Parts: sequence; C-alpha cells; structure tokens
Amino acid sequence: MSQIDVNYQKKELPEKLFKMGIILLVIGVILGLIGFFVDPTRASFNYLIAYTFLISIAVGALFLIALEYATGAIWSVPFRRVTEFFAAIIPLLLILVIPLLFNMHNLFHWTHEEVVAGDKILQGKAPYLNVSFFVIRAFVIIGIWSLFYFFLTRNSLKQDSSGDQKLTGKNIKLSAVFIVIFAITISITSFDWLMSVEPHWFSSIFGIYYFSGTVVAALAAVTLAVVLLKEKGYLPEKITSDHLYSLGALMFVFVNFWAYIAFSQYLIIWYADLPEETFWFLQKWEGSWAIFSILLIVIQFLVPFVALLSKPAKMNPKRLKFIAIWLLFAHLFDLYWLVMPQMPGLEGGYVFSWIDFVFPIATVGFVILIFAMKAKKENLIPVGDPKLERGLDFHL
Amino acid sequence: MNVDYSVEEPVVHGRLSLAEIEDLVVKPLDSKPNKKFYIALSISGSLLLIGAVLVLFTFYYGIGLWGNNQPVGWAFGIVNFVFWIGIGHAGTLISAILFLLRQKWRTGIARFAEAMTIFAVMCAGIFPIIHTGRPWLAGYLMPYPNQHGLWVNFSSPLVWDVFAVSTYFTVSLVFWYTGLIPDFATLRDRTTSKIKKTIYSLFSLGWRHSHRHWLHYEKAYTLLAGFATPLVLSVHTIVSFDFAVSLLPGWHSTIFPPYFVAGAIFSGFAMVATVLILVRKIFDLQQIITLDHLEKMNKVILVTSMMVGLAYGTELFMAWYSGVTVEKFAFFNRAFGPYAWAYWVMVVCNVLFPQLFWIRKIRRSIPIMMVIVILVNVGMWFERFVIIVTSLHRDFLPSSWGMFVPTLYDIGILAGSFGLFFTLVILFTKALPVISISEIKAVSDGAQPSHHRGENHE
Amino acid sequence: MSNERKIYGVAALFTKPDDIIKAASKVANEGYSKWDVNTPYPLHGMDNAMKLKPSKLGFITLFCGLSGTALILMLTYFTNSIDFPLVIGGKQFFALPAYIPITFEITVLLATVSTVIAMLTFFFKFPSNNHVLHDTPYMKKVSLDHFGIVIEVSDPKFEQSKVEELLRSFDPESIEIIYHKEEIKYPIFEPKFITFLIIVALAVSGGTYITLNKLMFITPFDWMMYQDKVIPQSRIELFKDERGMRTPVEGTVAKGFIPYPYLGVDEPPEYLSNPLIPSRENLKLGKKKFLTYCSPCHGNFGDGDSRLHDQFPNPPTLHSQRIRNFEDGRFYHIITNGKNVMPSYTAQINRNERWAIVNYIRVLHRAKNATERDLELVTKETATNVAN
Repeated sequence: MSQIDVNYQKKELPEKLFKMGIILLVIGVILGLIGFFVDPTRASFNYLIAYTFLISIAVGALFLIALEYATGAIWSVPFRRVTEFFAAIIPLLLILVIPLLFNMHNLFHWTHEEVVAGDKILQGKAPYLNVSFFVIRAFVIIGIWSLFYFFLTRNSLKQDSSGDQKLTGKNIKLSAVFIVIFAITISITSFDWLMSVEPHWFSSIFGIYYFSGTVVAALAAVTLAVVLLKEKGYLPEKITSDHLYSLGALMFVFVNFWAYIAFSQYLIIWYADLPEETFWFLQKWEGSWAIFSILLIVIQFLVPFVALLSKPAKMNPKRLKFIAIWLLFAHLFDLYWLVMPQMPGLEGGYVFSWIDFVFPIATVGFVILIFAMKAKKENLIPVGDPKLERGLDFHL
Repeated sequence: MNVDYSVEEPVVHGRLSLAEIEDLVVKPLDSKPNKKFYIALSISGSLLLIGAVLVLFTFYYGIGLWGNNQPVGWAFGIVNFVFWIGIGHAGTLISAILFLLRQKWRTGIARFAEAMTIFAVMCAGIFPIIHTGRPWLAGYLMPYPNQHGLWVNFSSPLVWDVFAVSTYFTVSLVFWYTGLIPDFATLRDRTTSKIKKTIYSLFSLGWRHSHRHWLHYEKAYTLLAGFATPLVLSVHTIVSFDFAVSLLPGWHSTIFPPYFVAGAIFSGFAMVATVLILVRKIFDLQQIITLDHLEKMNKVILVTSMMVGLAYGTELFMAWYSGVTVEKFAFFNRAFGPYAWAYWVMVVCNVLFPQLFWIRKIRRSIPIMMVIVILVNVGMWFERFVIIVTSLHRDFLPSSWGMFVPTLYDIGILAGSFGLFFTLVILFTKALPVISISEIKAVSDGAQPSHHRGENHE
Repeated sequence: MSNERKIYGVAALFTKPDDIIKAASKVANEGYSKWDVNTPYPLHGMDNAMKLKPSKLGFITLFCGLSGTALILMLTYFTNSIDFPLVIGGKQFFALPAYIPITFEITVLLATVSTVIAMLTFFFKFPSNNHVLHDTPYMKKVSLDHFGIVIEVSDPKFEQSKVEELLRSFDPESIEIIYHKEEIKYPIFEPKFITFLIIVALAVSGGTYITLNKLMFITPFDWMMYQDKVIPQSRIELFKDERGMRTPVEGTVAKGFIPYPYLGVDEPPEYLSNPLIPSRENLKLGKKKFLTYCSPCHGNFGDGDSRLHDQFPNPPTLHSQRIRNFEDGRFYHIITNGKNVMPSYTAQINRNERWAIVNYIRVLHRAKNATERDLELVTKETATNVAN
C-alpha cells in the first residue's frame, strides 16, 4: 500500500503565524541583548533556562518519534510529522549553544579558577567539570542528536513520496539505538547544564528528573499543536477525540511520573538529612523561594492531575489546549526553580527582573517560526506511512 | 525480512475458532495429571519441603543458624524478599500496564503473569516474617491501641513495606480474581463433574455474561489496571526506600526508586519468560503464546536491561562526581573487593548477555532465550546481594568491617522459596485456566464487530 | 408439563458479532427496556448499540480512595502528633513526606477493593447462582462461542408473538424460550444433610480445640506457659526435703537491716545511743507506746503499781536512783532483750518506738523529780496557754 486515499489536501498555514513567530523572536532577541548589557549574569541564567527548555521540546519530540517507531504505536502516526517539526530545532542548537558557551563564567562557579583552587571538592571534579571537556561534550551531544534527527526525518520524508515500507524498518532500528543514546545524553546534558550550576551538589536521579520534565513538555507542545491544527481544520477529520484522549492520557501519566521522580529525590534527601545534599533544597526554601517551591508542586502536579483525571477531560480539546499551555509554562517554571536560586545575588529570595520574561518570549517566537517554516515545506501528516490508515482509523 | 506495517499482526495464530481456543486452554483442567506433571511437582515439592524444614529449625533454634552477623545484619533474608517482590512486578506490568497501553499481545500471557505475581509476593512475604526470629509475635507489629500507648513507626520504610506489600498482594489478588470470574462461569457451563460445577458456580458468583454487567466490568477492570500501574511502581519504590533513605554509602542514592523498578520489571519478565517457555511447550499453547509474544517480551527485557545498566553507570559516575570518599570506596570495593566475583556476575548477566537480544535471530530462538533469561534471574539475585552485602560489610569504620558467609540454612531457605513458587505454579496450571479465556477470545480473528474496522484497537 | 411452566423470556442466538450488534440496536430502538445481551466476551460498540449509559463506578472509586487518604493521614497525625509525639530522625511530629508512601498505598487499596466490592454487590447483585438463565442450553452456548439476546416477559412491551417475530427478523441461528425453573423444595430434616451438619460441627469444634488448645502451645509457641522455674507449692528434687518453697537461711536479715548485736546477752559490753530527739511527736509516740505496752506491768507513771500488782511478780519502780542513772541505751537493751520475767518486746515494738519509749521514761523521771524551775515553767505555761 503506497498512497492511501486519506484525502489530505495540503493547506498552507496562515502567514500571520509566520509573522507572529518572527515578531516575537525579534522582540525577544533585542530585549535579550539589552538584558545582557544590563545584567549579564541574569541574562545568562535566563538564556540557560530557555536553552534547556528548547532541548526539552526538541529532543523530547525526537524521543517521542523514536518511541512511536520502537513500540509500533499506531495512534500517533497521523501527527508524527507535527512532532518532527518540533524536533527540527535540534540542529539549530549547535548555534544557540554558542552564546551560552561564551557566558560560562557567569553561569558556573567551577569555571572560576580561583574558586576551584581553594576548593578540594571542585578540584576532585575538575577532570569532568572543566571548560574544554564541557564544550566538547556539548557539541558532541548536539551533533549526535542532529545526526539521528537528520536520518530519522529523512526516512520519514522520503516515505511521503515513495511509500517504501523498508524505510519504516530502518527507522525502527534507528529509533531503538537512539533511545539508548538519548537516555545517556539527556542525563549528561542535565548534569552539565543544570546540576553543575551548584557544583557541590549531586543527585543520581537528576537525569531522570530532567527527562520526566522533558517528556511532559514535548507532549504538551505536540498536544497543543495538534489541537490547534485540528480546530483550524489543517488535520484530517479522522483525527478524533480518541487520538486526543491518548495524548491526554500520556500527559497525565508523565505528570504523575514527574511527581514521582521529584518526590523520590526529595524524600531520600530529606530523610537522610545529610548537609551535603540538603543545602540545595534549603536554598530553595530561603525567603520568597519557598513560595516558588510550593507553587512548583501545585503548578506541575496538583492542577494538571486534577484537570486531567477524568476520561472526558482527557478528550476535551479545550481542556487539553489549556493544560498543554499550562504544562509548557510549568516546565519553564521547573527549570527556573532549578537554577535561579543559585544565581549570585538571589540567594535570599526572588528579586524581580524584566529580563526573566524576555527569553521565554524569544523561545516561543523561535519555536513558532521553525514550526511555520517546516510546515511550509512539508506535509502536515506523513502521507506515505504504511501505518497511517490504521492510525487514522484508531478508536478506543 | 518483510513486514507489512499496514496490517495488524494477529494475536492468535492459526485462525482458531472460539471453541478451539477454549478447548485448548481448558484441556489441562479436564485431563488427569501425567507423569511429567508428577515429576515436576515432586522436584519443586522437595525443594519446598527442604525449605520448610530449615525454616522450622530456624524458628526453634533462632536466627543464629543463618549467616547474619555484625556488620552484615541483613543478608539473604532481605535479598530474597527484594528478589521475589521484583519478580512479582512483571505480572502486574503485563496485566495492567500493557492493558492500558492497549498492547493486545499481553492477552495470552496476562493471566499466567498475574498468577506468578501473586505466588511471587507470597514467597516474598515469607521473608520479612521469618527473619524476625519470633514470627508468631508478628501481630504486635500492627498498629493496635495498647497500654503502653505505643504505635508503629509510620516514618520507617519497613512499615511502609508492610503497607505496600499487603496492598500489592490484595490488589493483585482482587485484579486476578476479577479477571477469573467470567472464566469460572465458562468452566461452570462446560463441566460435567458435579463437584467441579459446585466449585465453579461458587467462584463465578453467578456471572451470566450479561452485557449490562460487562459494561461495569470493563470499567472496573480499567480502573483496577489504572491503579495497579502506579501501585507497582510504588511498591518497589518503597522497597528501594528501605535502602535509599539510609546514610550508607552505596545505599543512599536518589536514583534507587526508578532503578529498582526497572530492575524489578527486568527480573520479573525474565522469570515470566522462563515459565512461559516451559508452559507453552508442555500444554501445546504455541498458537496462543506465540514466538512473536516471546520476542516482544525479550525486547522489554533488553530495554530494562539497558535501564539497569544506565543506572549502574550513573551510580558509578555520581560516586566519583560526588567526591565523597566513602561513596567512592563503596563502588571500588564492589568491583575489586572480596565480593568482586558477585559484582561481575551481576554485570555480565544483567548488562552483557541481554545485549544479545539486539539480534533478531536470538530474540526468536527458544534455547538461547531460555539461557539468557535464567542468567538474568541469577544476575538480578546477585544485584540485590551486591547492593546489600557489599555496602554493609564495609561501611564507614574499617575497624567494623567483616565478611558474610551464607550458611546451609540461608541457601536452603532460598531454594525452598523457589520450591514454593514452582509448586504453586505447577498446581495452578492444573487448577485454573492459564490463559484468560474471555480475553483471548475477544482478541482472536473475527471476534469483534467489523464496523469499527475490526481488530486494530483494544 | 412444559405448558405449565412460567416463561422468563425469549432468546435468540447468533454466531457473528456484526449480527448481534445490529440486532441489539434494533431492539433498543424498538423501546424495550427489560432485555439483555449475553456474550462470552465484551463486544466493542455494544454499549452504544444497547444505548447504555456509562458506568458510574468511577465515583465510588474516587470517594473511597479519597476516604482512604483522609483516614490514613488522620491516623498518622493522631498517633505521632497527638497521642504519643515522638521525635523520629530529627523530623517534625507530623512528618508528612514520610507519610506520603503509606497514604498512597492506602488510597489505592481502598479505591480498588471498594470498586470491586461495589461492582459485585451493588451493580451486579452477586452472588446470584439461582438466576433463571443458569443451566439453560442458551447459557451453555453463550459461554462458549455464541452471542445471545434475551427479551424478558416482564418488559411492558412484551408480547410473545411480536417478540418472536422481531427476533426472527434478525436471522439468528436459533430461537429459544427460556422458562423459569421448577421450584424444588429442600426439606431441612433430610438425614444426609443433618449428618453432614453434625460432621461439620464435630470437625470444626474438634479442629478448633486441637488448634487453639494443643497445637498453639507447642514449644516455642507456648506463650511462656511452661517455664523452668519453681512455682509455689511445687516439689523439687534438688533439696533433700523436696520443698519448692524455702525458708530463709539461718541468720538471714532484711536488706539494709543491721541486727541488734547484743540480743541474748545479759551484760552487753556497750549500749547504743538514742538517735531520737525528744520532739513533741516523738514524745507523743513514746507516751502512747508506753501506755500500751509498758503500763500494764510498770504502771501509768512507771511506779510499778499497775493493775497486775500482787497478781504478777512486781516490776521495780522506774524512779529509783539506780534506774534513773541508766543510760538510754540500757533501757533500749532491756526492752529489746527482756530482763528476768520481762520478755523481749522486739516483736511488738519496733526500734523507733523503743527509743520513743525511752524518751518518755525520761519525761516521767523528770515529772517525778521536778525542780523549782520545772514547776515555774509549768506555771508559766498554764498561765499563758489554754489547757493543752
């Protein structure tokens, strides 16, 4: 079976989407640059948060694609292309990482040689936490991700015109390998960019913590895109609330998974009460940071849990749209909570700065822009995929 | 190999009719046990008996008969407990999680796996009870109002274990029984023996396959599956808390909860695979428990093996990265100390051998599969042994270091737990249908109405 | 005979899922309410075909699960924060993070168990092994590989010929009329049943007795009933006289007790000194004890002129010069040891009281030999005080 009579007419996404992306991005970039001049440390931290957020969306999306291939899932096939559009950000990370690498001094204590010289613990970590190895790791990892992105999406696109089932077979093998490499690289990424902001602290579950937030964010992005596109009629009618239910259920599951990982990390450190571990959490309880910590539980767990608990809620497009946006914000909030309390000057509590709002704007614009650009060039659904027909017919 | 991804693979091979499926599944219940059955039962029964006798000795003479000492106060008892609980998790995962993920291939193996869960939890539950030394006083551990005004310590992970394992056992039993009700009804309606009819009628509660009932039944089943899934994660997480909330190097590591859960699924699937390979051969169920299903299970084993390997790697890295001397030593000691042999058995069996499952031919080869999954079980037992004994035998003060040597009683009681498990499994195969009759009928070819385009959904 | 039986309903059997789905929708559309579909496994789309409303089981799950959460949080709060607050691991009394695992488990336990129980008892009204459909050929087929529809007589729109026609229009494999079963009466006093009851009663009581009274007391499960200690009144071969209860060894004294060293010695080498000060209480005590124990022989004032005068060998007066010169300890020795006819008073008067008596004797001495000053003092006192 090559072409399926799915009546897919490629509709162009409206121009204003494109425009919105560019405007938001430009505003974000300009304000960001100003921010760098005004308060380089604050700006660097916010850039870091935006960067890791983009990794979550992009690499998380690629992970979802790989998961679909590896498990042989059917229901997600119709909007796998949408997910691929999000993953398109990955090669651009090679460029986006550069400003961060130039600002490592503002971000990481362990880059300051005088600090390391006086600290035995940091000296012990120096074989791993040194600038050159760090930079190499960053580029190598993004490079590996980009390779997998390239091959996976190339096969998927080729299949649009050829319908060749062997391409699916190839992608399944690539996906299996990618998942293994993803697990390792996402852990290393989280250790490097997020955990080493506090170089004295360590937690073996941290990679999984970042992973759980990543999957939630990627799912939220895909859900939001799918619901919006379906509402505006860009996706085939056959994508029904049954498909949405699956997305909603997955979001629900991973919200719970995030809560489980976050709680495990907290409970183990709280229980043993070792100062070398608890200080990290205590820092997030200083002054107004305590409110952030409580809010994190509410925003990332309690509200989405209750909102997605019932079956009708998981299928309702309005509810899903709202929760998807909510969860994207929640992941940003999570990343913010992870690093900001360590910023020099903010140890006593949160201090407001307009710079905090600039980078999210740029991020949103960036994602919309990339999505719109890819949607211009390619089909919105993988028309050549052999599983497409079964995917569109999917019912609970 | 050419796979057509546009059609769904059939769950049941050979285009069996509903009646043929039922006959296949019910045959062991209607036939008298043969010689092979008795041989198998006597082997497992002997192991069970040996274990029981050694347990009675332990009650009479005390825990001194075991190898426990200071500093290794926890040894085989807790290793066996964690081992068996881990094995139990595969059953719930296959039953509940694969159900929620709408993986139809679970149907042929779910009933069996659930039964194995219940038996494994029974084996596991023995150990916390006997390792107290005076288990007949175990009732005092429950929270009851007393003159001392004492309550149990709800902050202790050991008490969390009590809640977790009891809940897990109860929910698994309820889930299993709920699934059995329609099957009891089917058995009741086809049996000719009066005694069996009475028993089946009793247990089927009068189920009459009414669709008004199926409506609630399916909802209840989904709810149970939805609860059993986080339950399974929580039980082994709580077991991991036994170790992780302590201060001991090698134990106090935040990755323990997901690491233990992955390991539990890993060892559980290996045990399920072991038993299933034997069962499908003995009872001619190859068309219902197909090679495809076994291949899928092997993929799960491969994935969880890599998760466990990733956890090993992360722990090693974090031990170095943390800079904590005792932590670094704990891992160095594991790999190169006096128990290094156990550590390398663990790594080879858990991480290396399952990598062979990348190769499709091996995934579909019954003899090699059998060897690998047995090695996985061995490796996972050693993983618990390594974690517990190496961290205990050399912790903070070198003057407190010691060695642990298991006694005959330790080993014999472990063998006895295997005996109990396999005895229950063997008896189960003759007493109850090993495959859920109603579920397997529901996923066979042509079983569902076609206006939903047939078979491509739950 | 079959004409007499009551009809339960009319049933039709099908072999293909598509057929019964169509049939079921039509029956629902016709407006029947008391009818049912029986299938060996749930068919997709049957819910909609039968126009069934979604199950409300989830609400029970939610309610019971949340009750479980509340109950266990209350229990942990009560036990560790109110009833017996304990600082465990340096954490606060209500250590919520530590209680989360248990809370989760109990929530799940109550939610799941209540769901199943509610489903079986409330929704299904099980057990119902005496339902009409059991043991019919219809049921046997439906259990195996057929799909069936039953329309009951109790439905308001039921009319046998119309129903049969409707069912026939679906082209089923067969149509069957389901009858109620004959009521078989089971007399209670059937001999087999009575025998069975008796056997069960014997077995259960015997088993309970053996278990609770015999098996449960096998060492080491014997609740410490059999101990290697000697209980009162028991025999023991260890001693020659085989008595379990022993008397104290010769010379045993109570703990902390120092025996009077001159018991039985007429002329002791030394006398003890009086530890009691002559305070008002001590003197009152001495007076009381003297009047109780000493006055029957010695008289109320120590003159030796008691009631027993001439009936009993007289004690000497205590006011002679010789006796007035006795040390306190000598009086003590006489009371403790006895003298001549006077016995030892150790059994009746304890040490403290003996010294109090000695002080009182001194009072009597002073009273009998008062000086001018003493009288003055007494006068002074009586002038200013009310009679004491």
